[in-house]
Amino acid sequence: MATSERRPLSVLTAPILAGSLLLTAFLLGLVVSLAPLNGLITAFKSLFTPAVGVDGLVLHYSWWPRLTMALLAGGALGLAGVLMQQTLRNPLASPTTLGVASGANLALMTATLVAPGLLVAGREWVALGGSASTMALVFSIGWRRGLSPGVVVLGGLVVNLYAGALGMVLLLFHQEELKGLLVWGAGSLAQNDWSSVAYLAPRLAIAGLASACLIRPLALLELDDASAKNLGISLKWLRLGGLGLAVFLTGCVVSVVGIIGFIGLAAPNIVRLVGARRLKARLIGSVLLGALLLATTDLLLQGFAGRLPTLLPTGATTAALGAPLLLWLIPRLRMTARRPPSASSNESFRHPLPGRLMIVLMVLIAVAALAGLTIGQGPNGWDLALDPPVLEWRWPRLLAAAGSGILLAIAGTLIQRVTANPMASPELLGISGGAAIALIITLFLIQGPSNLLLVGSATLGALITLGVLLALNHSSGFQPERLLLCGVAITALFDAVRSITLAGGDPRGQQVVAWLSGSTYYVDPISALVVLIAALLLALATQPLGRWLDILPLGAAAARALGIRVESARLALLSLVALLTAGATLIVGPLSFVGLLAPHMARMLGFSRARSHMAGAALLGALLMVVADWLGRQLLFPQEIPAGLVASLIGGSYFMWGLRKL
Amino acid sequence: MIYRYYHAFITLPLTLALVIALASPAFAGPRIASLDWTLAETLIALDAPPIALAQTDDYASWVGQSTPMSVTDIGLRTQPNLELLANLAPDRILISPMFANLAPRLSTIAPVETLSIYTPDKPVWPELEALTRKLGELSDHEKAAERLVASSRAEIDCLASRQPAAPRPLMIVQFMDARHVRVFGANSLFDAVINQLGLTNIWKEPTNAWGFSLAGLERLISLEQARLVIIEPYPAGVAEALKTSGLWQSIPSVTRDDVITLPPTWSFGGLPSAMRFAKTLTAALSDAQSQTLGACANGKPPE
Repeated sequence: MATSERRPLSVLTAPILAGSLLLTAFLLGLVVSLAPLNGLITAFKSLFTPAVGVDGLVLHYSWWPRLTMALLAGGALGLAGVLMQQTLRNPLASPTTLGVASGANLALMTATLVAPGLLVAGREWVALGGSASTMALVFSIGWRRGLSPGVVVLGGLVVNLYAGALGMVLLLFHQEELKGLLVWGAGSLAQNDWSSVAYLAPRLAIAGLASACLIRPLALLELDDASAKNLGISLKWLRLGGLGLAVFLTGCVVSVVGIIGFIGLAAPNIVRLVGARRLKARLIGSVLLGALLLATTDLLLQGFAGRLPTLLPTGATTAALGAPLLLWLIPRLRMTARRPPSASSNESFRHPLPGRLMIVLMVLIAVAALAGLTIGQGPNGWDLALDPPVLEWRWPRLLAAAGSGILLAIAGTLIQRVTANPMASPELLGISGGAAIALIITLFLIQGPSNLLLVGSATLGALITLGVLLALNHSSGFQPERLLLCGVAITALFDAVRSITLAGGDPRGQQVVAWLSGSTYYVDPISALVVLIAALLLALATQPLGRWLDILPLGAAAARALGIRVESARLALLSLVALLTAGATLIVGPLSFVGLLAPHMARMLGFSRARSHMAGAALLGALLMVVADWLGRQLLFPQEIPAGLVASLIGGSYFMWGLRKL
Repeated sequence: MIYRYYHAFITLPLTLALVIALASPAFAGPRIASLDWTLAETLIALDAPPIALAQTDDYASWVGQSTPMSVTDIGLRTQPNLELLANLAPDRILISPMFANLAPRLSTIAPVETLSIYTPDKPVWPELEALTRKLGELSDHEKAAERLVASSRAEIDCLASRQPAAPRPLMIVQFMDARHVRVFGANSLFDAVINQLGLTNIWKEPTNAWGFSLAGLERLISLEQARLVIIEPYPAGVAEALKTSGLWQSIPSVTRDDVITLPPTWSFGGLPSAMRFAKTLTAALSDAQSQTLGACANGKPPE
C-alpha cells in the first residue's frame, strides 16, 4: 500500500484513462448496435412505447431490456465479486469459483429431466434454489472452521467441480433434452420483454442497500482474524452475511441470464489495480466497471450477431475476452498485499507407519484391479469372465486408468507443494484446459479427425499453455499466487470456448462432451502400456526431488536460506507437472479431479513427508481411477460413465466429508 | 429417469432372447450395427433393422418412432459399449463421419462403413436417395431401397401438387428456450423437403454444417411475410413464457395467428423423417386452407 502513495500521479491518471477508454468503447457499441435500427432518436422514442414498425418493436421489447439487463447484471456481478474477495481475503474468489453458478445450472438440468413442471412454475426459483443449496454445502463444510477463507474457497472449488461433474453426466446422456440449457449456460442476454428486468431490479436494489450497510464491518476484515476478534466482531456471522449477500446477487443474475464469467472476478481486481484501496471505493468502482464492461461487450457483440450462423453468447464471450486481459494484468497485480491464511489451516497429522498404510493401499489396488478385470455385465447380465476375448477389452482400460491416476496424483502433489497452496491442481494451472481447447478446435475444424491427430493437437495445446505460463511467470520467479491466477485465466478461456461451441447446438458437441468428460474409452493396448510405464518411470524419477518438496512449502526465504535455488527448482518441477498433466489429459480428459483429490486424501490419511506423500498420492490416484473406471462401466450398463467423471464424484464426496472433519 | 435404466435391465435379457430366436437361418441378411440414428431409421424403413443401435431410448423420443424389439441398445452414440458390441458379433458396423475417430477400434470387431450425409454444398435430397440405395446394398435389401426411393419420389410429387396456389414463404424453427430458436436454412432436411414441395424457405442467412442458425427471437420479427412452422417439442416452460412475451406476440405470423405446430421430427434424419415432415406439413397447410388432403400415401406406385 505504501507504493501507491509514492506515485500520486499514476493513481489519478490510471483510473481516468481506463474509465474514458471504456466509456468510448461503450458509446461506440451504442452506435454500432443502433445503426441498423434507425438511430438514437427512434431508440429513445421507443423506450416507453412500442412505436409502430419492426424497429420500434425490436427496440422496445428487445434492445432496451437487453441493455438494461446488461447494466444490471454486470453491476450485480461486480458487487458480488468484491463482497466475496473481501470476505474471503482472496483475489481468486468470485461468484463462479464458489459453485454458485454450477449449482444453479445443475438444478435447472435436473428439473428439466425430472420435473419440468417446476420450470413452468418459475425457473428463477429453481436456479436460485440450486445456487443456495450448493452454497449451503460450502458453508457447512467451512462452518466448524469458522468459515475460514482457505477452507471456504477450497470447499467452494470442490462443490463447484462436483456439481459440474454431475452436470456433465446428465449432459452426456441427455444432450437432446438439455440443448436449450446449453444456450442459457453460456450466458445469453437476449430479452423478449421487460419481465426479467422487472424481476431483477428490485432484488438487486435490496441487495445493494444491504451491502451498503455492511461496508464498515466488512472493511475490518482487512485486519487479521485476532485483531478483528478483539474489536468484538463475530467473524463467522460477518462472513456468512457477506457471502450470503454475494450468493443471492449471483443467484438472481444467473437464474435470469445464465452464467456470465469473468466480470465478478475481473471488475474488483481491475478496480483495485487502478488504485482504489478503500472498500467503499472498490464497491462503487466495481459496480460501475462491471456494468460498463458487460454492456459494452454485449453491444459490440450485437453488432456482429447477424453475420454468424450461430449465437455468440455474451457470458461466455466476456470470459473469453477477459482471459487475455487477466493474463496481461497478472504481472501488474500487487500480490504482496494479500495476507497469508491463518497458520492453523495447514497443520496435518502424521501417520506413525506410512509404510504399512502403503501396503494396505497396494492390496486394495490389487483387489480392485482383479475385480475390474473379471466381474462385469455382459448381454446375459452379471458375469464372472475369465476368457481372453473379454479381458482383451478390459485390461487396457484398467492399466490406462491406473497410469493416468498416478500421473495426475504426482502432478497434483508436486504443484500443491511447490505453490504451498491447497487449491492448486494441474487442472487449475490450465494445462489440461489448454490441451482441451486444442482438442475442441480440432474437432470443429477437421471433419472426422483420427485419434492420432486428436492426441497430437492436445499435446500441442498443453505445450503452448505451458509456454505461456512460463513466459508470464519467469520474471516473477514463478510466484505461486501468480501462477495460479494464470491457471484461472486459462481455465476460464477453456470454459468459454467449451460453452460457446456447445451452445451452438452442433451435433459434434456430443463428441466434445465425450472427450472432455475423461474416459479411458479410447485407449488401445499399446497406449495403455505406454501410459502405465511412463507413469511408473516418472513416479520413480520424482523420488529424488523429495528434499525440494519438503522445503519449498516453507516459503521462498526459508528455502533460499537452506541453499535451494528457488527459481530453477520451481521451473524444473513445473515443467515436470506440465508433462505429467499433458500425458494424463490425453487419456482421461481435463475434468478428472484426481490431481486435486489424491494428494489431499494422502495428506488426510497421514502421509506428510514429501516422498511418502507422493507415493501415497500415486497409490490413491491409481486406486481411485481403477475403481472409477469399473463403476463407470457398470452403473448404467450398457451406457458408460467416463472414469474421470466417476472419479470426481467419488473423490468429491470423500473430500467434502473429510473437509468437514478437518 | 432412474426408472428407465431399471427398465433396461429387465428388457435386455428379453430382447436378447428374441435376438437369438430371430437369428435363425430365416433371417439371413447381414447383421448390422449402427451408431447413427439416421442410418438406423433408413434401415428400419427398408425392413432390415440393425441388430444393435446406440441410445435406443433417445432414438424413440427424438426420431419419433420406437425401435423394433430385436434391436439391442449398445449405449452412447459417442462411446458405444465395445464389450457388448463384440459379444453381439455384427457383420458390419455403420457410422457417420462424426464418429470417425472410433473407426480403428470398431474395425477390430467388424468391418466399418462410414456413410456421410449433409455434406456442405451438396444438395440434400439426392444425398438422401443415394444414402438409401447404399444402405439397401449393404443390407442386401436393394429392391426395398429402390421401392423406398421411388415411393418417396412419387409421394412427394403428389404432395407438391396439392400445395395452395400462392403460399406464404415458411420459416422453420425449433425452440431452444424461451428466447432462442434454431432456424433451419440451407443444407437442412426441412429446407430440402420444402423445396421438393415447391414451397419457399424464407431463411437465407448463413447456416452451420448441420443446416441451422441459432438465433434470438428478435431476428424473426423483421421477416414479415414469413409463416412460422414450429417443430415440437417445446422445452419445459417455453409455451407458457411465450404467452406473455411482448416480442413473441408482436411477431407478424403470431399476430396473424397462422403459426403451424408440427410433431417432433428428427431434424438430421433420412428419407423416412423427410417424408413424415412432408406429410405433416402438407396436412397442416391444407388444413388451414380448409381443403381436404388427398390420399397421396395410398397412391403408392405398385411394387
